[in-house]
Amino acid sequence: MLRVEHLTKVYENGTVALKDVSFTVEDGEFLVIIGLSGSGKSTLLRCINRIIEPTEGRILWNDIDITALNEAELRRVRREIGFVFQEFNLVERLPVLLNVLAGRLGYVNPWWSLFYYFPKEEQERALVALETVGLREKAYNRASDLSGGQKQRVGIARALVQEPKMLLADEPVASLDPVLAHSIMGYLERLNQERGVTILCSLHYLDLVQRYATRVIGLRDGRIVYEGTREDIRRMTDEEFKQIYGEEAQRLGA
Amino acid sequence: MKVLKRIGVALLSLLVPGLGQAVAGAVRRGFYVFLGTSILSGLSIFVAAQRARFPEEVYGTSARIFFILLLSSFFLLVALRLIYLALIRRVAQDEILYRVGEGLFLVAVVVVFTLAGPQLIERVAPPQAERLLYMTLLLVMAVVLAGLWLWNVQDAWRVAEGREVSWNGFIALVLLGTLVLGTRVVGIDLPKAIREYRETERILGDILWPWRAAFDYKATELRATAKVQAPCPPGSTPPPVNQPKEGEPWVVVTPTCGELSVRDEKGKLTYGTLLTIRGGGFVPGKKVKIKWENPIGNEFTPRGVGPTEIEVGPDGTFTTQLYIPDVVIPSFAKGPQIHKLHVVQPGALEFTGKLSREMKLALQAMLESIMIGLMATFAGMVFAVPMSFLAARNLMFNLRTSPQGLVGGVFGLVLGGYVGWQVAARVGSMLGGIEKAPVSVATLGFLLVGGGAVLGFRLLGRALDRLSQRLPTWARAAIRYGGFALIGAGLGWPLGLGYAHGLLAIAWGEEQAAAVATQMAQIGAGLGALAWLYLAYRWGEEGPVYIGQWIYTVTRLILNVVRSIEPLIWGLVGVIWVGLGPFAGFIALTIHTIAALGKLYSEAIESIHPGPIEAIQSTGANRLQTIMFAVLPQVLPHFTAFSLYRWDINVRMSTVIGLVGGGGIGFLLIQWIRQVQYEHAGLAVWLIAITVSTLDFISASVRKRLV
Ligand SMILES: Nc1ncnc2c1ncn2[C@@H]1O[C@H](COP(=O)(O)OP(=O)(O)OP(=O)(O)O)[C@@H](O)[C@H]1O
Ligand SMILES: [Mg+2]
Repeated sequence: MLRVEHLTKVYENGTVALKDVSFTVEDGEFLVIIGLSGSGKSTLLRCINRIIEPTEGRILWNDIDITALNEAELRRVRREIGFVFQEFNLVERLPVLLNVLAGRLGYVNPWWSLFYYFPKEEQERALVALETVGLREKAYNRASDLSGGQKQRVGIARALVQEPKMLLADEPVASLDPVLAHSIMGYLERLNQERGVTILCSLHYLDLVQRYATRVIGLRDGRIVYEGTREDIRRMTDEEFKQIYGEEAQRLGA
Repeated sequence: MKVLKRIGVALLSLLVPGLGQAVAGAVRRGFYVFLGTSILSGLSIFVAAQRARFPEEVYGTSARIFFILLLSSFFLLVALRLIYLALIRRVAQDEILYRVGEGLFLVAVVVVFTLAGPQLIERVAPPQAERLLYMTLLLVMAVVLAGLWLWNVQDAWRVAEGREVSWNGFIALVLLGTLVLGTRVVGIDLPKAIREYRETERILGDILWPWRAAFDYKATELRATAKVQAPCPPGSTPPPVNQPKEGEPWVVVTPTCGELSVRDEKGKLTYGTLLTIRGGGFVPGKKVKIKWENPIGNEFTPRGVGPTEIEVGPDGTFTTQLYIPDVVIPSFAKGPQIHKLHVVQPGALEFTGKLSREMKLALQAMLESIMIGLMATFAGMVFAVPMSFLAARNLMFNLRTSPQGLVGGVFGLVLGGYVGWQVAARVGSMLGGIEKAPVSVATLGFLLVGGGAVLGFRLLGRALDRLSQRLPTWARAAIRYGGFALIGAGLGWPLGLGYAHGLLAIAWGEEQAAAVATQMAQIGAGLGALAWLYLAYRWGEEGPVYIGQWIYTVTRLILNVVRSIEPLIWGLVGVIWVGLGPFAGFIALTIHTIAALGKLYSEAIESIHPGPIEAIQSTGANRLQTIMFAVLPQVLPHFTAFSLYRWDINVRMSTVIGLVGGGGIGFLLIQWIRQVQYEHAGLAVWLIAITVSTLDFISASVRKRLV
């Protein structure tokens, strides 16, 4: 269970990106975070695994206070939380396989990994993950040679090999076309349903939200302005969506 | 009334430039005018009063001359200006005409001073020809300054009038004055450059096209020899007379025995026996030379005893006559001696295709330079890579710790370094000390001290950070305050010593300063402790302490200081350290390369995409793993490109460092220049140019492909 309590983030330039945000996510939920551009979705997700430091508040995950961990403890927690980025964030110059294997860095012997060496079974695991996202034959290509959708699948494979208990996905389909968007979201859904991984995902498109979310929270100017269940969202009309969400709301239409 | 005010204002500006404008209300304008005019005047006087560059410049106080020139030109200008104003009043108030009039006025100034200038200079100090330029410059300076002054007066007048004013004249005059000053200070002397250009022509030719010196030539010469005995006492047996031979050069000398010419102290020559010389078998139409070889084998051209260069006839023969020359006979020689007469016909120089000795030397030295550059680049890279990570803002700025952790870290650093030092000393003495095994001992020491310090920093820092979380608040405070006080004292002590020996010693002298050094150190330690106690109070127990930023700042500072010292200076240091030769150049370039590459690398690191770093960190990777997976792949091409670029620079630099003794081709070049062997110097210059441009091309094209 993830509990976010009174989370506040003030950036160094004074921007208040999150203000007193509190919510709870049960294990196995597919929580979708919606909100305008600049409403603080990325900030929220990044605070949860502390890629950026929260200014105030606590993040409790299975009763561990993530905000109070020291570096070594934080690493141990992070390796169980996958993160999928909107811009994929692959290491472009490394082969696809190494990009996936990077997901194991928290588990393997750190000294060997410095020379890009991973044991056989880790390599097997990475290849299996690539198989899952249908990219096994690209394992030895440079990551930069892939298309956008393929890159995002590698990003998901990287998260997969972490064998995460929770997956944070920051607009994972925002830069992809509708068909690809559904296929990527499909992977997340399978992960959620087959392996029971808790998913926190920020999304832009109403139909995707309706299709995949089990619960939704809406952010506006760093505050939670909406909380709804699966049923609430299914019933929601475009008009209502626009009200919480702002004028930018749109349907993906595929 | 108004007119009075204007006159007053103008007078004020005449006394102090800008004052009139200020009084008339344009304070800012007045300030700028004052600033510009006074700076230019000050500089002009300073430059004019400078001692002459040449000893024959006996004008003494050229400042006095300058003042006279200044005054004369001022009055001349005023006169011109007044005349002009009177004329223009009459003609028109029209704007365009006014402009034209200004232009005409300027032309008039130039004309008047061109005509009057020489007279003026003549009056003040009659110049020698080569001083004319200098005097002219002084005059122009004076005119500009006087013009500026006048402009300022008129400007004050206009400001008081409430007319629209512009900066154009001011800017033009200041610019002109600066240019003239610059000409004088730099000593630009165009006439001299033109007059004396011809003398450099030959040298320039040698340097620009030195390739003859790059190869060896075989001189083929035709040569025939006859023996002559001198003196010729009766009863001696003179050498036989030669016989002409077919198919090869021959010479017949008669008689083969005679007396030497004698030269007395005054150089007057008394001729000896006249020899008739016939020769053949030489190349027709070209000259032969006659050489004399004395009994001990020294060959020389006889002087004053007859022609020594004779034209060969169409059939290859010649005939001439020559007195036996005066020859200094070695004192041990007694009785008749056998001399030799050579007839030599130099042939064409024959191209052998072999490189000359100098060319080989130059090639070797060039290779040496390239290698110096290469090695220095490698050595620099080894140190620059780790330093660049410490000097990269994006990697270091989020590195932080608690104050307790800082205390642990600093103590660990000192302790680890100390332990490392002790161990290194023990092991080092077992190896035989620094004298016997310098490299292994130094390497060991470096690794042990550095490793110990880093290890201690990490271990103790972390240990204390963690331990203090379990301690009660008062214990944490004790660690913090106690530790910080000690750190402050530790930093303050050497600062106090430095103050005594560095600053006080300048004012008081070394000895007196040394007497108070301990006190100063104590005061420094006390102040340091106080300052750090305050920090401990302000940061509280949470901190955080951004040690990453500190390390970043210190590393950057070191890099910048080292980089700002020219490699040439490091070259001098290197030469003093390890003596003349390529090693010194290597050391110099390495030091500079570390700093330069460190900076470039760290900027490359700062410009990488932060996304992959976040992604790798999100997987639970530690710092080193993040660097290897997210940072290194991104910066590697840039690192390679910068290293190549640096190699290119280093090779170029190593030629310069050679000039101060750092080995390589520069060393050779400066030697050849000093020995006036311009052709050989030209070889070196060409080799440098070829190498540098080739490397430049290669590195540029490789870099283009990489980045
Ligand atoms: N590194 C930063 N420094 C300062 N301000 C930031 C930084 N990152 C984000 N912000 C600000 O914080 C606010 C929230 O940004 P955030 O990226 O969380 O929004 P978002 O909801 O993810 O938007 P988008 O949908 O465009 O990705 C914005 O006003 C943004 O300008
Ligand atoms: Mg975002």
